[in-house]
Amino acid sequence: MIETKLGDFEEVILLIVGILGEQAYALNIADEFEAQTKRAVSIGAVHSTLTRLAEKGFLESKMGEASAERGGRRKRIYEITAAGQRALENSRDFKVSLWNQFPAFASKLDFTF
Amino acid sequence: MAPPKLAQKLLCWFLKDDLAEEVLGDLEEKYIKTTTAHSKVKATINYWYQVINYLRPFALKKYRSNSNYINMQQHNFKISIRNFQRNKSAFLINVIGLTTGLASALFIYLWVNHELSVNAFHANSENIHHALINHEEDHTLRTTQDTPGLLAEALQNEISEVVRATEDTDPLWFGESFALSSGNEFMKGLGKFSGAQFFEILSYPLVEGNAQKVLADKKSIAISESMAIRLFGKVTGAVGETVTWRLLHFEQEAIISAVFEDVPGNSTDQFDFVLPYQVFKEMNGAGINWLNFNAYTVVELAPGTDVEQLNQRLKPFIKEKSAKSNVSPMLYPYTDWYLKGNFENGVAVGGRIQYVQLLSIVAVFLLLIAVINFVNLTTARSSKRMKEIGVKKSLGAVRSSLIAQFITEAILLSAVSMVLATLLVKVLSPQFSHIIGKHLYLELTPTLLLPLFCTTVFIGILAGSYPALYLSKLKPIHIFKNKIKTGFAEILTRKGLVVFQFIISIVMITSVIIISDQIQFINNKNLGYNRSGVIMLPLEGETVKKMDTFFDQVAQVPGVMGASASSHAFVKKSGFTTGVSWPGKDQNVVTNFGFARVYDDMFETLEIEMIEGRVFSKEHANEKSKIIFNEEAIDVMGLENPIGTQVIFWGEEREIVGIVKNFHFSSLHDAVQPTAIIYDDEFMSHAFIKINASDMSETLSRLDSFYRDFNPEYTFNYEFMDGKFKQQYQAENQVASISVYFAAIAIIISCLGLFGLASFNAEVRRKEIGIRKVLGASSAKIISLLTGEYMKTVALALIIAIPLSYYTGQYLLADYAYAVKINIWYFLLAAGLSLVITYLTIGLQTLKSASINPVDCLKNE
Repeated sequence: MIETKLGDFEEVILLIVGILGEQAYALNIADEFEAQTKRAVSIGAVHSTLTRLAEKGFLESKMGEASAERGGRRKRIYEITAAGQRALENSRDFKVSLWNQFPAFASKLDFTF
Repeated sequence: MAPPKLAQKLLCWFLKDDLAEEVLGDLEEKYIKTTTAHSKVKATINYWYQVINYLRPFALKKYRSNSNYINMQQHNFKISIRNFQRNKSAFLINVIGLTTGLASALFIYLWVNHELSVNAFHANSENIHHALINHEEDHTLRTTQDTPGLLAEALQNEISEVVRATEDTDPLWFGESFALSSGNEFMKGLGKFSGAQFFEILSYPLVEGNAQKVLADKKSIAISESMAIRLFGKVTGAVGETVTWRLLHFEQEAIISAVFEDVPGNSTDQFDFVLPYQVFKEMNGAGINWLNFNAYTVVELAPGTDVEQLNQRLKPFIKEKSAKSNVSPMLYPYTDWYLKGNFENGVAVGGRIQYVQLLSIVAVFLLLIAVINFVNLTTARSSKRMKEIGVKKSLGAVRSSLIAQFITEAILLSAVSMVLATLLVKVLSPQFSHIIGKHLYLELTPTLLLPLFCTTVFIGILAGSYPALYLSKLKPIHIFKNKIKTGFAEILTRKGLVVFQFIISIVMITSVIIISDQIQFINNKNLGYNRSGVIMLPLEGETVKKMDTFFDQVAQVPGVMGASASSHAFVKKSGFTTGVSWPGKDQNVVTNFGFARVYDDMFETLEIEMIEGRVFSKEHANEKSKIIFNEEAIDVMGLENPIGTQVIFWGEEREIVGIVKNFHFSSLHDAVQPTAIIYDDEFMSHAFIKINASDMSETLSRLDSFYRDFNPEYTFNYEFMDGKFKQQYQAENQVASISVYFAAIAIIISCLGLFGLASFNAEVRRKEIGIRKVLGASSAKIISLLTGEYMKTVALALIIAIPLSYYTGQYLLADYAYAVKINIWYFLLAAGLSLVITYLTIGLQTLKSASINPVDCLKNE
């Protein structure tokens, strides 16, 4: 059985992959995570999560082009799959529905897009 | 600008190959970024941090061996664990049995090791010998450790093989009256006198001082570290200080020439300070001669000396010095004296080594019993594993791989037990040390780990080989056609092994019963004198100087029923003499007499019965020219009308005034010997005070305050005679008390095995029991059916064990001059005990099986 629920860290990484688009490879994702959350993370931790997300079917990857600063090595570019997209939407909808049931905020906030 | 090589290497070593490119690339990019943004150092540190953070399961290389051997081992391991889980009860029985067996064996090993190390720590020990003395008496030889005080010097001067020789004395001879002072208070300690070369021959390490000069000067003294601390509060600087020593009424000054390390626990010679033998010689004056035995002699021989041959040459050595002598010296290894110190007719016949051997045998037997449990339970349960073997064989497993599998299982079990046993020993060693009276502990040094490992493997192979050979022999075709029948030979083997277990257990139980009874017997035996309520205290200081007054006054203390003094402690080894002659004595026969000097009232205080004549009393004049003998002595001398006869004792005429009933003069290991008692008011070592049992503690405190007034420089340091008496048998008491546990362990392990067999048997015969019950058998009938078989086995073991126990008992009692008679009750008790224990073990199991509802076990048909 493959775990299909998204963890908190996984959700953030998945979103960052979406934000970075063509530049979504492990190092860039880690740097972006640090920049956005102000929390330190190692490339290994990010890489491990990316692999797990790929196993769950939320990400696809392919080898990108090489560059000089990488010693001529290629990078692995990640891309969100349709399933990944759906998982993100489900996660958001679920939270929105929870927010809407929260009486203190339900009337004041409008979460519709 | 390249990332650290070592970190990169490490990464490549553990990282999956297909991840290498992207990861190395990412990390290098990060490195370059960090270098430009911050610094090279920071980048390097960060690189290492990133590498370490790649140590995650997803990124690691998968290691999988292709070696057939390793795969098979892994398989065997896995199957063993699963098998243990499936047969939890058999596994538990085996582990409990082996663990207790191994723990007992480890304890015995610790003790044996300690015994073997006693006195063996001297650097030159293979060349160090005691000179023993053989006394020729009544055509046999009696061997003692006491030698003439002149022997050491003469041996060194006249025998070329003797490199060094020293006189020595025993701290026990001087009792508690030896004391040292550095100017203030006198401190008691174990002191002795030794020859100048003592510290050269025996390697007691010196903290300060020169071994060759320690006792060379007559005014010198060597003290132990703890004595130095007691005297001066420190060790350094003690050398050169002056101390005063005191023994009885002798008091002298001496200069400390050396401080030695405290004597280790595995030395039989325990002492706190050593004075030069020269001093002892001068104290004794003419007493040091070839006919008196008042020193030990220790010699160091040239390496490679033929001791046998030297002993032959030494035979006439003392006789040549003194025509009257009837003794010959004999060199005997210094280290052997402790373990093999018993002699018969001049030949070593063992000693404590017997206990060492006995307990070693017990250890082996306990392990065997536990191993048998494994063998029996595994073979009995083999039917459960036949399918596994059949399938494996059909798939091409060769016999040797099946054997390896079963042996692996046994070794695994033995390893688990060994680990548990080691822990158990670690936890229980204080209790064990307490029982055995020695400080023993388990230290897991490499030298011990190797034998432990070998034992584990050996026990595994021993336990595993029979089941392995038996199970691997089965043919797959028979297994699948259900043609395997439990063979007659197999059942016979199993029964035989159970019988063997029970024989050992029963022999051990009987032996323990016999030995405990012997110890009871010794403690309660009427010795011919009454030691209960008698306290002993050393005579010293004022009590020696004013003995008359002391005893007059002590008798006035309320609660004191009698008091006297003697030169002999009664509950220790006695002095002896050959210096008695009487009318009609055959001059060619030398007779040995135990002797004691006694003071007024001695016979009344100890309630020694007189047969004829009178006891010593101050009322009579000239008591010093009188003598009293025991019955045995009168028999040996063959006197018709002993009272009034004049005998010659130490060259002086004395008149026999009384005959006492035979009483035990020393240990019960020795028979009552002829004994001479003379009256004296000097040279007394101990006071004996009989106190009223009804208010003992008040009397003791009254005595304490009286003593403090009378003899202010000494403390009232008393011992009960009864306790002292028991101390003589400490060695056998300790071995006996520990043996009780081992006997209990033996029977428990045996019963555990039997329990395992019985429960398995009941499981197999469930249907049979069900059918029998349906057909009307009562529960009682079924219990007797199930237990009968095992009770028969145990009964058979009993029949074989009883004669064996008889011989063991005789062997154990051979060492006592006064032993209990081995009678039928010992065997009945042991038989009853083992039958009841067995019946309870399997009875409980069968009761459960017999009370099953037939429906439960038959409904599946």
